[in-house]
Order: sequence, then C-alpha cells, then structure tokens
Amino acid sequence: MTQEVGALSKVRIVDLTDERAIYGAKLLADLGADVVRPEPPEGDPLRQRGPFCEDDPDEPSLWHAFFASNRRFVSLDLETQMGLDQLTGLVRNADVVLVSEGAFGVTEANLDATLQTNPALVWVECSSFGREGPWKDYLAPDLVAGALGGAVSTTGDADTPPLKAFGDLNFVVSGCYVAIAALSALYHAKETGQGQRVHVPVHQCIASCLEHVFMWYWYSNLLGPARGRALERRGSLHWSNMYVVMQAVGGTIMVTPTPDIDAQLAWLIEADEFEDLFEPQFQDPANQSQFMARLMEVLRSFVGSKDVKELFLEAQSRHAPYGWVLPIEKVGENPQLEARDWWHPYSIGEHVVKGPGMPYRFSQTPWQMKPYVETDVDAERVLQDLGWDNDR
Amino acid sequence: MRPLEGIKVLDFTHVLAGPFATRLLGDMGADVVKINSVARATAINATNNPYYTMWNRNKRALALDMSRDEAKRIGKDLCAKADVVIDNFSVGVLDRWGIGYDLVSPLNPSVIYVQMSGMGQGGPWSDFVTYAPTIHALSGLTHLTGVEGREDIGIGFSYNDHAAGLHGAVAILAAIQARRSTGKGQRVDLSQFEVGVNLLGPALLDLFGNGRAARPAGNRLPYDEVAPHNCYPCAGAVSDDIADERWVAIACMSDVQWHEFRRVMGEPEWSSAPAYATAKGRVAAIEELDRQIGLWTGQLDAAEVMARCQAAGVPAGVVQNSIDLAENDPQIVASNFLMTFDEPNPVLGTTYGDRLPLTFGVTPCDTYTRVRDVGEDNASVLSDWLGMDSEDVVKGENAGYFA
Repeated sequence: MTQEVGALSKVRIVDLTDERAIYGAKLLADLGADVVRPEPPEGDPLRQRGPFCEDDPDEPSLWHAFFASNRRFVSLDLETQMGLDQLTGLVRNADVVLVSEGAFGVTEANLDATLQTNPALVWVECSSFGREGPWKDYLAPDLVAGALGGAVSTTGDADTPPLKAFGDLNFVVSGCYVAIAALSALYHAKETGQGQRVHVPVHQCIASCLEHVFMWYWYSNLLGPARGRALERRGSLHWSNMYVVMQAVGGTIMVTPTPDIDAQLAWLIEADEFEDLFEPQFQDPANQSQFMARLMEVLRSFVGSKDVKELFLEAQSRHAPYGWVLPIEKVGENPQLEARDWWHPYSIGEHVVKGPGMPYRFSQTPWQMKPYVETDVDAERVLQDLGWDNDR
Repeated sequence: MRPLEGIKVLDFTHVLAGPFATRLLGDMGADVVKINSVARATAINATNNPYYTMWNRNKRALALDMSRDEAKRIGKDLCAKADVVIDNFSVGVLDRWGIGYDLVSPLNPSVIYVQMSGMGQGGPWSDFVTYAPTIHALSGLTHLTGVEGREDIGIGFSYNDHAAGLHGAVAILAAIQARRSTGKGQRVDLSQFEVGVNLLGPALLDLFGNGRAARPAGNRLPYDEVAPHNCYPCAGAVSDDIADERWVAIACMSDVQWHEFRRVMGEPEWSSAPAYATAKGRVAAIEELDRQIGLWTGQLDAAEVMARCQAAGVPAGVVQNSIDLAENDPQIVASNFLMTFDEPNPVLGTTYGDRLPLTFGVTPCDTYTRVRDVGEDNASVLSDWLGMDSEDVVKGENAGYFA
C-alpha cells in the first residue's frame, strides 16, 4: 500500500503560540501539517530557552528545536503594513490558527474578522485562566500554573516543598488539549464547512489531569480509612498505597503487588520470604488494609536484598509491573527504544543531535522530521513557497 | 451538535490511559461503546468503583464475554462497523480474539486501530506490564522529579496515564483526518513508554548533544537562569498535617518581575544586595534567597501573597489541593468546571465530574451522561450498530455471551 507522509499533510496551520500551547502546535506539525510560525524581527523569545547546542547561548536552542520542530519560521515586522498584510495572508489561507493569549501577532491577526471571511477557519485560543473570572489576567508560567491547577500539591515529600514535575509538563497537558481542540473542530469544519473558535484554559486542563485528586475529594469516604478530602504529598507512595519506590541493591525500583496479588504472594513463598503474611490476623477480610500494609513492608525487605536489574527483569517475566528507576543516561541506552529504532537525528543548523522519536507510529502515514532552520526573513518567498499567497 | 458526532468508537480499554482517551472523544460527541463484562468488572474496572466513574462517562456500555465464540463473532461484526477500535491490552490480545487489525481491515478498510500498549509492538520489552508509576520510573520522570539526592520521589499521581490518553486522542483524530485524504484507515501503535520518554525532549537533546545528564532540580528551571522560582511556606495551616500546610509558588521570570517582587515585599534590606541584581546572581545565591523569601511568606496567607504579587505583575499562585480547587477556586466556579451528574448512579447515588476543559463556540460540549453498568446499553448498541432485534439481544444475555 502506498504510504502518505504525515497524517495531516494537507492541513495548513498558523502557529501563534507561546509556552502554554506550543506543544500542541508541535504535535500537529510532527503529524505532517504545514505549520508556519511567525516571529518578530528580533526573534522568537522562546529561542532563548535552554539548553543550547554546544551549551552556548549563542548557538541554537535545543528547547526550541524540540518544541518548534517541523515548522516554517517567518519573520514579520508588524510595525509595517507589509508585515500586517503578510500575517493577514497567512491566517486567511489557513485551516487552523493556534494562538496563546497575548502572544506575538495575535491581536494583529484580527481573527474575529478572519472568521467572517473564512467561515471554515478553526481558531484555537489558549489562555491561562479563561476569558472571565477574577484570575483571568493572572500570570502563570508552568510552576505557577501547576500550583494553582492542583498538580504541584501532589508531588514532593514531607521534607521537601511541594514540587513541580521536571520539564514543562503542565504545558504539555494544555498543548495536547490545544491539538485535540484543533483536530476536533477541524473534523467538524470538514464535515459541515463551519469553522469556529475554541477556547482552552490551561488551568482547567491541568485540573482535568490529576488522576485521584477530585476522586479523593468526592469519594474519600469510599476509599479506605478516613484521611480527609485532601491527600498530602508523600514521596512516591501512590494514593492507593500500592505503588512505591523501594531501595534495591544498585538502585531503586518502583514496586507494586498489583494487579495479581496472589502471584506476588506466590513469588514470596517461592523465595521463602513471606514472613508473617499468612498469620491468622491477616486472613480476616476485615483486616485487609493491615494485610496490604504488611505486604508492602515485607516487599521492602524482599526487594532490599536483590540486585535492581535482576529484580526488575524477574518481576516483568512474572508479569509484575515493577519499574526500575532509571536516570536519564540509562534511558538513553534503553534496549526497547533501540530495538524499536525510536531515536531520531535532529538536524539543528550545523548540528545533528540524537533525539526523541514520535510517541505513536502510524502504519500508513509515517512521520518525517524536517531540518530545524533559523528564521526566514523573506516572508514573501515563504508565502510563495507554501502556495499560501494564492486564494484557495 | 457536538464536533465528533457521527464517529463510532469501539472501546476495549481499561484502567485510566485508554478510558481517558475515549472519555475525551465521548465528551465531544463520538458514539463510544465501552466493552466490559461481568467477569472483568472487578476492582477498578467495576462500574461502581469511584475510579471507574471518573473516566467512563459519556459512553454506552456493551457486555461481551470475549471468552465465548459468540461474543467474538459479534465483536468482529462491531469492528467491521467501527470508525475506531482502541485497546490498551498487552500486544496481541485482539488478535487472539480474532478481531485484530489484519483480520478486520479487509472487512472495513477505513477502520482505524489504536493500540495503547505499555511498550509498543516489537522489541525485547514488548510484553512488559506497565502502569503509570512503572512508566514514570523507566522513562526518567521519577528520577528527575525530586530534589538533589532524592531519586525516589517522582510525580505524585499517574501523570503519564493522562498524557498517554491525550496523545491517544490526538492520534485518533489525526488518523481520522488522514482518512479524509486517503480514504483508508490504518493502525496506530502508541507506546505509553515512548510517550513518557518523549516528554523529556530538551533534556534528551542536551544529553546526546552536550553529554550532560539532567538531575533533579526541585522547582528550579534546570536550563534557565530564573530566580526566585520555588514554592514557599505560608501561614494559616489549620493543623500539623502535611495536607493542611499552605504554600505559594512564586516565579520571577525576569529582572523586571524581581524588582516588582522586591517592592511587594517592602524592599527589605537583604534584597538590595548587589548579588541579587541579576538573575545570574540570584541563581548563584539561591538557597539564601529562598530562605529569605520563605521568612517573608511564612508570615502571610498564601492567597494574600498571590494577590499582592499578581497585582504587581509577578507570577504567583497558591499551591492548591483538592479542597482549594473544589471549594475556593473562583475560576473553577466561574467556568462551572465541576458538576454533578443529573442521573444518580444506581449504586453510588450522586456522582460527580470535571467538565471537558474546551469551550467550542459553535459546537458546545455540555452533555454529560453518568457511567453505565455492564451491559446497560446492550439493546441500543446492538440495534444501532448491527440492527439486532431485541429478542436476539435477550437471547445472548440469557446465554451469557452478552454479559
């Protein structure tokens, strides 16, 4: 069967996003959409985010190369009529325009008017807190967004502050929602000819992706011994008390007796390390929570004497979902990723750097990583190259 | 009308990652048919388990006991009618049931199969069993989310399940768009592990490009000179329980914001030290800077610190827990983000949910139906999808293969 390049290869997108939504534009660009990212003459401020090639701030930003992958960059001087006309030309011919509230070019793009002349246009607008409410103008970089959104309070331990996750993971969530909004509205537009504006507030996006947090608030009376409606940060211990990182020989490992506790018990019996788990007090179903707590203690002892790699592989051979806690350099050597030929060379200016592949593989529309190039100052030529200057 | 009305999704997913992907599609109007069975509906897959209620609204429920040949035959007929078939089993389960992509695509060339397995198809770890904490550990997220010297903290909830679900929804919608161009469906292989590793993109490029292995950075930005950028203790804890502590996050992303923040604090003498005049200097003196700021915030209510900072253009936010979000968050209230399902759950009674955080101007998504019991929609699904009459449905229910 003939393979197309990129699932979204016929979709035209203008990317006017900042950190809050740039990951959504990346997802769509990596899926083959034709994504143009305008930036001011002085350059996209996100090009200043580290790390950098050669660890030198004068070299290209690796952060930007990752999050702005597969784009065509165009420099627009919006102080001039030509720049404004070029921006108008871009959005007028787009299928989708992605914006972050307040980002470069958003006001000048005048999307309300464009939606009148291009009624099939999909316009996805990401803001920190939505268009209304007392916090609508609050500033919220990833840490603050995660704090107010509920993610930060879940993470950390008794002897640490509440912690953000490494990286920009709160904005990854809002970025994914931006991509979902764009593709859903695009589906509707292709079916009906009717475009629309979709609003994506980062705050609610984060709050929608907190696993147990709202469940705990609503149903804590059903979830075991009463602990109140807010669960404290407690290191790696999962809200269910059934997943926790333990020390093994040579490293740490995430250990859980789920999903098959009988199989875990059989393993402990086989190893003759079941201690008192079969004493009568633990056989009464009314004491199940005490039994589970004791099981986790026994597992900590069991794990503590085992080589971490051997334990991990043995657990997985028994279909137990243990997870070896790997530092990033070990992730870079992972045999599964190597076997799946997952890594991909990133061509960044004069540099070629090994980097992440896609999070999914399409059997008929494989992805392609285009070279990352610096800003093209000749907007007119970019428009011509893209064929976006022609009426559609 | 919701944006995805008309799309048929056959949903074999379980736990969180897969059900979250299909919840998104159901919220936006797709006809999501959730396959469950009496035998499998235990623990967190039980329809009256609070966890299950969180991820399975806006879906119709069809019971299929896939250990029965009759159920497998009906399953194949359903796959032949579906736009999307999705599962998050280990690799090969649908094939063993005779409803894998290679068997179904000749019957339904436009069908899209999405497999959200832990490790993806192929490779020495393809049979490994994973949950989100497993993925966090293997992908580096656990090691990197913590403070110096602690590689045992990690993210405090199953983040990667949500991330995989979000990426799964993106993949489905992209494949649907591709089908518009090609007229053909395809198979999507989503590895939840690769989703997790992908999230460390810049750090991985730094590893391979510069030979630098990232380490836990607490709340600091590992690659950018930004300070202060941390969470600080505040007054107002109602007990000694950690859950009752009050904290505020403050992030001065520029020198201008730092100078405004100094003004908010009343320009204390310590803050005028030359070392603090630049971001580089503040980062170099970060421990003392954080200590001084913590002494100031410790006297104040977290909400007051946030309000005063934000009024001055300094990013700051209360570290909100579930009570803050559900009871005190004015944006959550203003957007009516949390809701109660109109129809009570037959077992749990009143159930609750958080709305889709997307506001579509033309196709609003404001329909929310409660989680359905195993097989509660057998008759309507089998009639709508296969034209089956009610007698045959009852016959299958009595025989146990629609159960």
